Amino acid sequence: MKKQKVVILGSEQQNKHDLDAIHKLQEGLSKVDQFPVYTPDLQWFEKMVLTEKQNSRKKFIKELSLFLMIAFFILSGIIVSFYQMPIVFILIQIITPVFIALYTITRVSKKVKMNE
Amino acid sequence: MDPLIKSAKEGDHLAFACIFKENYPFLVKYLIKITMNPDIAEELAQDTMAKCIQKIHLYNGQSKFSTWLIAIATNAYIDHCRKQKRENKWKGQEEVYRKLKWHFESRNEEWNDALEALGKLPVNVRVPIVLKHYYGYSYDEIGTWMKISPGTVKSRVHNGILAVRRELKLGEETEGRHTRQRTTK
Repeated sequence: MKKQKVVILGSEQQNKHDLDAIHKLQEGLSKVDQFPVYTPDLQWFEKMVLTEKQNSRKKFIKELSLFLMIAFFILSGIIVSFYQMPIVFILIQIITPVFIALYTITRVSKKVKMNE
Repeated sequence: MDPLIKSAKEGDHLAFACIFKENYPFLVKYLIKITMNPDIAEELAQDTMAKCIQKIHLYNGQSKFSTWLIAIATNAYIDHCRKQKRENKWKGQEEVYRKLKWHFESRNEEWNDALEALGKLPVNVRVPIVLKHYYGYSYDEIGTWMKISPGTVKSRVHNGILAVRRELKLGEETEGRHTRQRTTK
Protein backbone atom coordinates (compact mmCIF):
# COMPACT_ATOMS: atom_id res chain seq x y z
CA MET A 1 0.00 0.00 0.00
CA LYS A 2 2.78 2.38 1.01
CA LYS A 3 4.66 1.63 -2.20
CA GLN A 4 1.56 2.45 -4.29
CA LYS A 5 1.21 5.84 -2.59
CA VAL A 6 4.82 6.70 -3.46
CA VAL A 7 4.20 5.82 -7.13
CA ILE A 8 1.07 8.00 -7.32
CA LEU A 9 2.81 10.95 -5.72
CA GLY A 10 5.72 10.45 -8.12
CA SER A 11 3.50 10.49 -11.20
CA GLU A 12 1.69 13.59 -9.94
CA GLN A 13 5.01 15.32 -9.51
CA GLN A 14 6.11 14.15 -12.97
CA ASN A 15 2.95 15.66 -14.45
CA LYS A 16 3.60 18.90 -12.62
CA HIS A 17 7.13 19.09 -14.06
CA ASP A 18 5.78 18.25 -17.52
CA LEU A 19 3.27 21.09 -17.19
CA ASP A 20 6.03 23.44 -16.04
CA ALA A 21 8.12 22.54 -19.08
CA ILE A 22 5.11 22.99 -21.41
CA HIS A 23 4.33 26.35 -19.80
CA LYS A 24 7.92 27.54 -20.34
CA LEU A 25 7.77 26.39 -23.95
CA GLN A 26 4.50 28.24 -24.50
CA GLU A 27 5.99 31.35 -22.92
CA GLY A 28 8.99 31.24 -25.27
CA LEU A 29 6.92 30.50 -28.36
CA SER A 30 4.48 33.31 -27.60
CA LYS A 31 7.44 35.71 -27.71
CA VAL A 32 8.00 34.61 -31.32
CA ASP A 33 4.41 35.62 -32.04
CA GLN A 34 5.29 39.17 -31.01
CA PHE A 35 7.98 39.37 -33.70
CA PRO A 36 7.07 41.87 -36.41
CA VAL A 37 6.70 40.08 -39.76
CA TYR A 38 6.99 42.10 -42.94
CA THR A 39 3.97 41.34 -45.14
CA PRO A 40 4.36 42.29 -48.82
CA ASP A 41 1.56 44.24 -50.52
CA LEU A 42 -1.41 42.74 -52.38
CA GLN A 43 0.20 43.28 -55.81
CA TRP A 44 3.20 41.18 -54.82
CA PHE A 45 0.91 38.30 -53.82
CA GLU A 46 -1.12 38.63 -57.03
CA LYS A 47 2.05 38.55 -59.13
CA MET A 48 3.25 35.51 -57.20
CA VAL A 49 -0.05 33.68 -57.82
CA LEU A 50 0.07 34.45 -61.56
CA THR A 51 3.73 33.37 -61.89
CA GLU A 52 3.07 30.18 -59.96
CA LYS A 53 0.05 29.31 -62.12
CA GLN A 54 2.06 29.87 -65.29
CA ASN A 55 4.91 27.76 -63.94
CA SER A 56 2.62 24.89 -62.99
CA ARG A 57 0.96 24.99 -66.44
CA LYS A 58 4.39 24.83 -68.12
CA LYS A 59 5.41 22.00 -65.81
CA PHE A 60 2.22 20.08 -66.59
CA ILE A 61 2.72 20.39 -70.38
CA LYS A 62 6.38 19.36 -70.03
CA GLU A 63 5.54 16.32 -67.88
CA LEU A 64 2.65 15.25 -70.10
CA SER A 65 4.76 15.38 -73.27
CA LEU A 66 7.58 13.49 -71.54
CA PHE A 67 5.10 10.86 -70.37
CA LEU A 68 3.62 10.46 -73.87
CA MET A 69 7.08 10.16 -75.45
CA ILE A 70 8.26 7.53 -72.96
CA ALA A 71 4.96 5.63 -73.32
CA PHE A 72 5.34 5.68 -77.12
CA PHE A 73 8.90 4.29 -76.95
CA ILE A 74 8.01 1.58 -74.43
CA LEU A 75 4.90 0.48 -76.32
CA SER A 76 6.66 0.41 -79.69
CA GLY A 77 9.54 -1.56 -78.10
CA ILE A 78 7.13 -4.10 -76.64
CA ILE A 79 5.18 -4.47 -79.91
CA VAL A 80 8.38 -4.94 -81.93
CA SER A 81 9.78 -7.49 -79.45
CA PHE A 82 6.43 -9.37 -79.38
CA TYR A 83 6.50 -9.89 -83.17
CA GLN A 84 10.26 -10.07 -83.83
CA MET A 85 11.83 -11.47 -80.61
CA PRO A 86 9.30 -13.36 -78.44
CA ILE A 87 12.02 -14.42 -75.92
CA VAL A 88 12.91 -10.79 -75.20
CA PHE A 89 9.20 -10.06 -74.77
CA ILE A 90 8.85 -12.85 -72.17
CA LEU A 91 11.99 -11.66 -70.35
CA ILE A 92 10.58 -8.11 -70.16
CA GLN A 93 7.33 -9.50 -68.75
CA ILE A 94 9.24 -11.31 -65.98
CA ILE A 95 11.80 -8.60 -65.16
CA THR A 96 9.30 -5.72 -64.93
CA PRO A 97 7.15 -7.00 -61.99
CA VAL A 98 10.30 -8.20 -60.15
CA PHE A 99 11.87 -4.74 -60.53
CA ILE A 100 8.68 -2.97 -59.37
CA ALA A 101 8.42 -5.25 -56.30
CA LEU A 102 12.08 -4.72 -55.32
CA TYR A 103 11.84 -0.97 -55.84
CA THR A 104 8.70 -0.73 -53.68
CA ILE A 105 10.25 -2.80 -50.87
CA THR A 106 13.44 -0.70 -50.74
CA ARG A 107 11.45 2.55 -50.82
CA VAL A 108 9.11 1.47 -48.02
CA SER A 109 11.97 0.25 -45.81
CA LYS A 110 13.85 3.51 -46.40
CA LYS A 111 10.75 5.49 -45.37
CA VAL A 112 10.33 3.39 -42.20
CA LYS A 113 14.01 3.95 -41.29
CA MET A 114 13.61 7.71 -41.81
CA ASN A 115 10.58 7.82 -39.50
CA GLU A 116 12.30 5.86 -36.74
CA MET B 1 -16.91 27.77 -47.30
CA ASP B 2 -15.52 31.32 -47.26
CA PRO B 3 -16.58 33.14 -50.48
CA LEU B 4 -12.99 34.32 -50.95
CA ILE B 5 -11.73 30.72 -50.95
CA LYS B 6 -14.55 29.73 -53.29
CA SER B 7 -13.47 32.45 -55.75
CA ALA B 8 -9.83 31.35 -55.42
CA LYS B 9 -10.85 27.77 -56.26
CA GLU B 10 -12.60 29.09 -59.35
CA GLY B 11 -9.33 30.71 -60.47
CA ASP B 12 -9.63 34.29 -59.17
CA HIS B 13 -6.05 35.59 -58.71
CA LEU B 14 -7.06 38.53 -56.55
CA ALA B 15 -8.98 36.30 -54.15
CA PHE B 16 -5.90 34.09 -53.81
CA ALA B 17 -3.74 37.14 -53.17
CA CYS B 18 -6.14 38.40 -50.48
CA ILE B 19 -6.17 35.02 -48.69
CA PHE B 20 -2.39 34.81 -48.73
CA LYS B 21 -1.93 38.38 -47.51
CA GLU B 22 -4.32 37.70 -44.64
CA ASN B 23 -2.63 34.43 -43.61
CA TYR B 24 1.00 35.35 -44.33
CA PRO B 25 2.04 36.59 -40.83
CA PHE B 26 0.41 33.54 -39.19
CA LEU B 27 2.17 31.20 -41.61
CA VAL B 28 5.60 32.81 -41.23
CA LYS B 29 5.34 32.85 -37.44
CA TYR B 30 4.42 29.16 -37.39
CA LEU B 31 7.38 28.40 -39.63
CA ILE B 32 9.74 30.45 -37.42
CA LYS B 33 8.62 28.37 -34.45
CA ILE B 34 9.41 25.06 -36.11
CA THR B 35 12.47 26.07 -38.16
CA MET B 36 13.82 28.53 -35.55
CA ASN B 37 15.22 30.51 -38.46
CA PRO B 38 13.31 33.54 -39.84
CA ASP B 39 15.11 33.37 -43.23
CA ILE B 40 14.23 29.71 -43.83
CA ALA B 41 10.70 30.46 -42.55
CA GLU B 42 10.15 33.12 -45.23
CA GLU B 43 11.56 30.86 -47.93
CA LEU B 44 9.30 28.00 -46.83
CA ALA B 45 6.28 30.31 -46.63
CA GLN B 46 6.69 30.98 -50.35
CA ASP B 47 7.04 27.25 -51.06
CA THR B 48 3.90 26.62 -49.01
CA MET B 49 1.92 29.22 -50.96
CA ALA B 50 3.11 27.72 -54.25
CA LYS B 51 1.97 24.25 -53.14
CA CYS B 52 -1.29 25.74 -51.96
CA ILE B 53 -1.98 27.15 -55.45
CA GLN B 54 -1.31 23.75 -57.00
CA LYS B 55 -3.47 21.86 -54.48
CA ILE B 56 -6.35 24.27 -53.90
CA HIS B 57 -8.75 21.84 -55.61
CA LEU B 58 -8.10 19.41 -52.74
CA TYR B 59 -9.23 21.85 -50.04
CA ASN B 60 -12.75 20.85 -49.01
CA GLY B 61 -13.45 23.48 -46.35
CA GLN B 62 -13.86 20.93 -43.54
CA SER B 63 -11.00 22.50 -41.59
CA LYS B 64 -9.98 26.14 -41.33
CA PHE B 65 -7.86 27.45 -44.20
CA SER B 66 -5.07 28.32 -41.73
CA THR B 67 -5.07 24.70 -40.50
CA TRP B 68 -4.72 23.49 -44.08
CA LEU B 69 -1.82 25.91 -44.57
CA ILE B 70 -0.13 24.57 -41.43
CA ALA B 71 -0.44 21.01 -42.75
CA ILE B 72 1.21 22.00 -46.06
CA ALA B 73 3.89 24.07 -44.30
CA THR B 74 4.74 21.16 -41.97
CA ASN B 75 5.32 18.85 -44.94
CA ALA B 76 7.29 21.54 -46.77
CA TYR B 77 9.65 21.81 -43.77
CA ILE B 78 10.04 18.03 -43.43
CA ASP B 79 10.83 17.81 -47.17
CA HIS B 80 13.31 20.69 -46.81
CA CYS B 81 15.14 18.86 -43.97
CA ARG B 82 15.25 15.60 -45.99
CA LYS B 83 16.67 17.49 -48.96
CA GLN B 84 19.31 19.13 -46.77
CA LYS B 85 20.31 15.75 -45.34
CA ARG B 86 20.49 14.24 -48.84
CA GLU B 87 22.71 17.06 -50.05
CA ASN B 88 24.81 16.87 -46.86
CA LYS B 89 23.99 20.46 -45.98
CA TRP B 90 22.52 19.52 -42.61
CA LYS B 91 24.34 21.51 -39.94
CA GLY B 92 23.17 19.48 -36.96
CA GLN B 93 20.81 20.33 -34.12
CA GLU B 94 23.15 22.73 -32.30
CA GLU B 95 23.06 25.25 -35.12
CA VAL B 96 19.27 25.37 -35.44
CA TYR B 97 18.30 27.97 -32.82
CA ARG B 98 21.31 30.30 -33.20
CA LYS B 99 19.66 32.55 -35.76
CA LEU B 100 16.53 32.91 -33.64
CA LYS B 101 18.65 33.68 -30.56
CA TRP B 102 20.42 36.38 -32.56
CA HIS B 103 17.03 37.87 -33.53
CA PHE B 104 15.98 37.91 -29.88
CA GLU B 105 19.20 39.66 -28.88
CA SER B 106 18.91 42.22 -31.68
CA ARG B 107 15.43 43.13 -30.42
CA ASN B 108 16.67 43.29 -26.79
CA GLU B 109 14.30 40.47 -25.92
CA GLU B 110 15.22 38.04 -23.17
CA TRP B 111 16.15 34.63 -24.62
CA ASN B 112 14.08 31.75 -23.32
CA ASP B 113 15.95 28.56 -22.28
CA ALA B 114 12.93 26.48 -23.23
CA LEU B 115 13.34 27.62 -26.84
CA GLU B 116 16.98 26.53 -26.74
CA ALA B 117 15.89 23.14 -25.41
CA LEU B 118 13.27 22.95 -28.16
CA GLY B 119 15.88 23.84 -30.77
CA LYS B 120 18.09 20.96 -29.62
CA LEU B 121 15.35 18.43 -30.36
CA PRO B 122 15.23 16.60 -33.69
CA VAL B 123 12.77 17.97 -36.26
CA ASN B 124 10.39 15.00 -36.00
CA VAL B 125 10.01 15.70 -32.25
CA ARG B 126 10.07 19.50 -32.31
CA VAL B 127 7.29 19.86 -34.87
CA PRO B 128 4.68 17.71 -33.02
CA ILE B 129 5.48 19.46 -29.72
CA VAL B 130 4.79 22.89 -31.24
CA LEU B 131 1.63 21.65 -32.96
CA LYS B 132 0.30 19.91 -29.87
CA HIS B 133 1.25 22.22 -27.02
CA TYR B 134 1.21 25.60 -28.70
CA TYR B 135 -1.46 25.32 -31.40
CA GLY B 136 -3.54 22.66 -29.63
CA TYR B 137 -3.99 20.24 -32.55
CA SER B 138 -4.92 16.65 -31.79
CA TYR B 139 -2.56 13.67 -32.08
CA ASP B 140 -4.74 12.36 -34.92
CA GLU B 141 -4.44 15.58 -36.93
CA ILE B 142 -0.67 15.80 -36.40
CA GLY B 143 -0.30 12.11 -37.30
CA THR B 144 -2.22 12.61 -40.55
CA TRP B 145 -0.09 15.59 -41.56
CA MET B 146 3.22 13.93 -40.68
CA LYS B 147 2.13 10.56 -42.11
CA ILE B 148 2.73 8.71 -38.84
CA SER B 149 0.37 7.02 -36.37
CA PRO B 150 -1.21 9.05 -33.52
CA GLY B 151 0.56 6.72 -31.06
CA THR B 152 3.94 7.63 -32.55
CA VAL B 153 3.08 11.34 -32.29
CA LYS B 154 2.11 10.87 -28.65
CA SER B 155 5.34 9.08 -27.77
CA ARG B 156 7.44 11.66 -29.64
CA VAL B 157 5.71 14.51 -27.79
CA HIS B 158 6.14 12.73 -24.46
CA ASN B 159 9.84 11.98 -25.03
CA GLY B 160 10.38 15.51 -26.31
CA ILE B 161 8.87 17.04 -23.18
CA LEU B 162 11.09 14.78 -21.07
CA ALA B 163 14.12 16.00 -23.00
CA VAL B 164 13.06 19.64 -22.50
CA ARG B 165 12.62 18.93 -18.78
CA ARG B 166 16.09 17.43 -18.58
CA GLU B 167 17.54 20.41 -20.41
CA LEU B 168 15.75 22.86 -18.10
CA LYS B 169 16.72 20.69 -15.11
CA LEU B 170 13.10 20.54 -13.98
CA GLY B 171 12.35 17.98 -11.29
CA GLU B 172 15.91 16.79 -10.82
CA GLU B 173 15.97 17.78 -7.15
CA THR B 174 12.71 16.06 -6.29
CA GLU B 175 13.67 12.97 -8.28
CA GLY B 176 16.90 12.81 -6.31
CA ARG B 177 14.99 13.15 -3.05
CA HIS B 178 12.68 10.31 -4.03
CA THR B 179 15.61 8.05 -4.78
CA ARG B 180 17.22 8.90 -1.46
CA GLN B 181 13.98 8.15 0.41
CA ARG B 182 13.59 4.81 -1.36
CA THR B 183 17.15 3.69 -0.68
CA THR B 184 16.81 4.44 3.05
CA LYS B 185 13.67 2.28 3.15
